[in-house]
Amino acid sequence: MATRKVRYKKLSVKTPLTVLREDQIDPTEYESLTNEGQISTGVDHAEENEYHLQAVLQGAGVAADKEIPVPPPEESTLNFDHLYRQKFSKTSTYIRFSQTVEECIGCMYDMTEEDDVFLKSYNQKRPASTQLSEDDFERVMEVFEDTAYIRTPFASVDQTIVSYDEMFQGLQELDAAKVMPHAKQVYEYWKTRRQALGNRPLHPTLKFELHQESDEQDPFVCFRRREVRQTRKTRARDVQSADKLKRLRKELEEGRQLILAAHGRELLKLEMLKTDRAIYDQRAVLKDHKIRLGIKTDDEDLVNQKPQKRKAPEAPAVQRPPPPAQLRLPVRPDGRTAEADLAQLSDRLAEKENELRADIAKKVQNHSEWNKGHVDLTRGPLSPVRGPRLDISFRPAKTQYLMTPPASASSGSLEEPMPMDLDEPEHAPPAFKFRGVAQDEQSMANPPAYRRRIGRLNRLWIDRRGLTSPPRDSSDALSDQWKYDQSSDDEEDVPIYEVDPFDTRALKFRASIPLPAWLLSRAHPATAPVGNRPSILPPPTLPQTITQLHSTQNQTTITPPPAPRTSPSMKTGP
Amino acid sequence: MGPKGGVGDAPVGSDTPRQKGKATPDTLKIGCIALVTKDGQPRRAEILSIRETKSGRQFYCNFDNFNKRLDEWVPVARIDFDQDVDWPSLEKEKPKDNKVKKASAAPKRAQPSKKAQKKVGKREQSVASEGQTPHPWTEFTENLAQAKAQGKAEDVEDKAVASLEIGGTPGVGPDEMELDEDETPAELAKKERTASFSREEEIEKLRTSGSMTQNPTEISRIRNISKVEFGKWVLFPWYFSPYPEVFSQEDRIFLCEFCLSYYGDLKSFSRHREKCTLQHPPGNEIYRDDFVSFFEIDGRRQRTWCRNLCLVSKMFLDHKTLYYDVDPFLFYVMTTRDDRGCHLIGYFSKEKESTDGYNVACILTLPQYQRKGYGRLLIQFSYELSKIEGKLGSPEKPLSDLGLLSYRQYWSENIVDLLLGYSERDEKCTIEGIASHLAMTTQDVEHTLQALKMQVYHKGEHKIVVPEKLRQQREKSKLKQKRLIDSERIQWKPPVFTASNRTWGW
Ligand SMILES: [Zn+2]
Repeated sequence: MATRKVRYKKLSVKTPLTVLREDQIDPTEYESLTNEGQISTGVDHAEENEYHLQAVLQGAGVAADKEIPVPPPEESTLNFDHLYRQKFSKTSTYIRFSQTVEECIGCMYDMTEEDDVFLKSYNQKRPASTQLSEDDFERVMEVFEDTAYIRTPFASVDQTIVSYDEMFQGLQELDAAKVMPHAKQVYEYWKTRRQALGNRPLHPTLKFELHQESDEQDPFVCFRRREVRQTRKTRARDVQSADKLKRLRKELEEGRQLILAAHGRELLKLEMLKTDRAIYDQRAVLKDHKIRLGIKTDDEDLVNQKPQKRKAPEAPAVQRPPPPAQLRLPVRPDGRTAEADLAQLSDRLAEKENELRADIAKKVQNHSEWNKGHVDLTRGPLSPVRGPRLDISFRPAKTQYLMTPPASASSGSLEEPMPMDLDEPEHAPPAFKFRGVAQDEQSMANPPAYRRRIGRLNRLWIDRRGLTSPPRDSSDALSDQWKYDQSSDDEEDVPIYEVDPFDTRALKFRASIPLPAWLLSRAHPATAPVGNRPSILPPPTLPQTITQLHSTQNQTTITPPPAPRTSPSMKTGP
Repeated sequence: MGPKGGVGDAPVGSDTPRQKGKATPDTLKIGCIALVTKDGQPRRAEILSIRETKSGRQFYCNFDNFNKRLDEWVPVARIDFDQDVDWPSLEKEKPKDNKVKKASAAPKRAQPSKKAQKKVGKREQSVASEGQTPHPWTEFTENLAQAKAQGKAEDVEDKAVASLEIGGTPGVGPDEMELDEDETPAELAKKERTASFSREEEIEKLRTSGSMTQNPTEISRIRNISKVEFGKWVLFPWYFSPYPEVFSQEDRIFLCEFCLSYYGDLKSFSRHREKCTLQHPPGNEIYRDDFVSFFEIDGRRQRTWCRNLCLVSKMFLDHKTLYYDVDPFLFYVMTTRDDRGCHLIGYFSKEKESTDGYNVACILTLPQYQRKGYGRLLIQFSYELSKIEGKLGSPEKPLSDLGLLSYRQYWSENIVDLLLGYSERDEKCTIEGIASHLAMTTQDVEHTLQALKMQVYHKGEHKIVVPEKLRQQREKSKLKQKRLIDSERIQWKPPVFTASNRTWGW
């Protein structure tokens, strides 16, 4: 140890070292590299050499019985079980807890021995029923202390004491009946206590920073805020900050302009009200004159004419010329004339709607034109074309026969399985497809037809088409429960099933319920379009053009009706 | 050497010349060094404070080379007034003593004279001859081991008093004192006494007005709380803690064991106990076995509780600083369970983001639970967390004496176990390997290997030798079946803090 040789190779932390037990190696053969002077213990330099520490360190590795003496703790003579009464029950899982100390304590004022003396003598003088409880005393004191803390943060310096009146607000939040009769006297007591303590908080508090210079040396000042870390100043940062300030400035300016504008508007409104008032007064005068002079005329010019609500046109006129570009303000006395020139919102809406419909109709027409003769035989055509082939399996319903689908149709669909309706957006535009208009000419053009097919998982489907139902009643009172209770001849009253059968949610839901036996025996397969597919537009106002287009489309596929329509309640064998 | 240079935490006056002379109970003043009986032995002690009690005047003594936790109030009877005392160094005096001040402040290098060894404090030696002897009274430990080996306290005392001037030790050589040759030390002392008269008056004033010390920086050297009621225990604090100043006058203070709130009188404390509903540290439990639980507490979220915890622990940790707030720390609190709740055993704090890679900032086992193996659990837990984080950790320095011993024990046990494994398997190991296996820094591994004298140089190679006595010791302690942390039971993920935490330096 004494002569340290320079030939030692440097020991790196990555050097593989052989590990030996002391008895595996001759002590004379090796040198310990220990050099006491180089070991930094990590203990403060001034304490490193303390007697008891050194005593233990010297004996390190020999016996651990040497210890540094410390003042020994003693058992408390206080009644622990009384002070810590609340029982603790161990939770089965790890505790998760985020309440703060303040939240766990409740009233933050704890009465002192002096308070106890005061309260006891205070209560002695009064009957038990009107005594002030310790809890209430503390609540009142808490209000006083809190209010004082907020109102007079420098109370100990400027010696201002919060007056009782200022305490009143805080006291209001307490149980007034219990507290108020005592509050004033407790306040006087509180005041004397404050004064006795140099107007400092009654509870001893920690010393926090106040003055940087004087605090620095004061060992009682603790828990200072940490200085904010300086952000590095760069040109980019400056630009960023400038931009932020500019934006802020702009936004504030906009806000200001908005407020100015609002102010102007309100002024105008006031002006208008005044004018209205003047007009009213003038009219009153006029009326008086009229009465006095016996002039009997219409009093129309004495009241403001409400612009009359224009009735919505029965059939919106598509040809309606566009409204005049410039709008004149209606002149008040003869508002009507001005009104006539004004375009009504309902007109515009109807117009738009007509345009839209015409457009859609045209597109549909174009589409079917393009796809004439095209048959898409892929399993799930992306844009299936309505063509003769697709509808070929639809057979007209004939009431003379028992409604059993012909065998040939079934075999046909077996050979070429059709995509399920659900996969086919073929009914586009569906809004016009299954309208619920029960006009006789139309139902003649669109007789009921059915087809049977086998869908996925070998499910048998009956699709039907051309069934009519009366205009949809908007009343929600119509319930499902009557759906199958219609007699077959009472076709006008066939209820509308309120659910869109092609709605994905409805489909999903239905797919999840197995068909009950009674339904299987009585009803159509659930997905068959039930006469009226809810449409976007109210059925009765369907414009003529669309209806025509629709019927022509269908005419290509559907054979004329040989028989009256059937009701949905007919039986189908699975 | 400047008055505040170099020696740092060395006690006041250690680097400046001192005047010697006789004192009486009335003239003995703050800053004097006197011989005081401690545990039946005379020991040099610095007087840090003076107070009047019913039973007479008492002096607060910091004993030479004893930890501050052994400081105490002693009555006049324990002070040897037959011996000279060292009067306080002059540097603290008012500027009118500038001659003396000049001398002590002269930035001349200390004379490393091995011959300067001198006995002091002998009655027959004249004040004048001793007065010029520089006396760095703390620097004596060179001889400590030797003295201890002799096992006689007197010898230690002797050595302590006759301390050597070690090379480089700041001090003032005799030649520097020559500057003041025109004034005899006795005169100087007299002058100094008169100079400090107003100061003494001040002290007297402070004393009568209830404050115990004269100098704010010295306040923190004096224990301010004498007795603490804490759960089932009465604790006797070791160090100053910045509890409200008025508590210094209380015989005892009361702490709520669960929320750690502090009370100066029993009535307030009892009232608090009526209302307090807390029964465990206010955070999430992240570890539980049959024996202990660990809770993780965020200093920012639980500011009051964590401040209270710091105030408690400051009473037992000298080097803990409460200068700054608790926000940037997480507190890992170990508790023991019973039918009243989870009682605080100890804790360690940890920076949310440590730039120095510390995995522990402060660590403490409360005195009533010390020497029961809890410290080891705390340390192990801190390393288990580091393992989960995938980092190597080390405790923040300085360590306390007890901290160093606990860490050394933990480190040596774990390293020895690991090394014995390598030895049995005939494998080589690297320091890095040990470090990563134990989540310790390589410096700490090396430190331990060196401290235990395990690093050797043998046949041109670095090797590690496990000393036989360590091996046996380990076998023995294994039989004792010490409790360990079961890392499987830790339910913890390293917490992530938002950008604002970093921006604001938390
Ligand atoms: Zn509590």
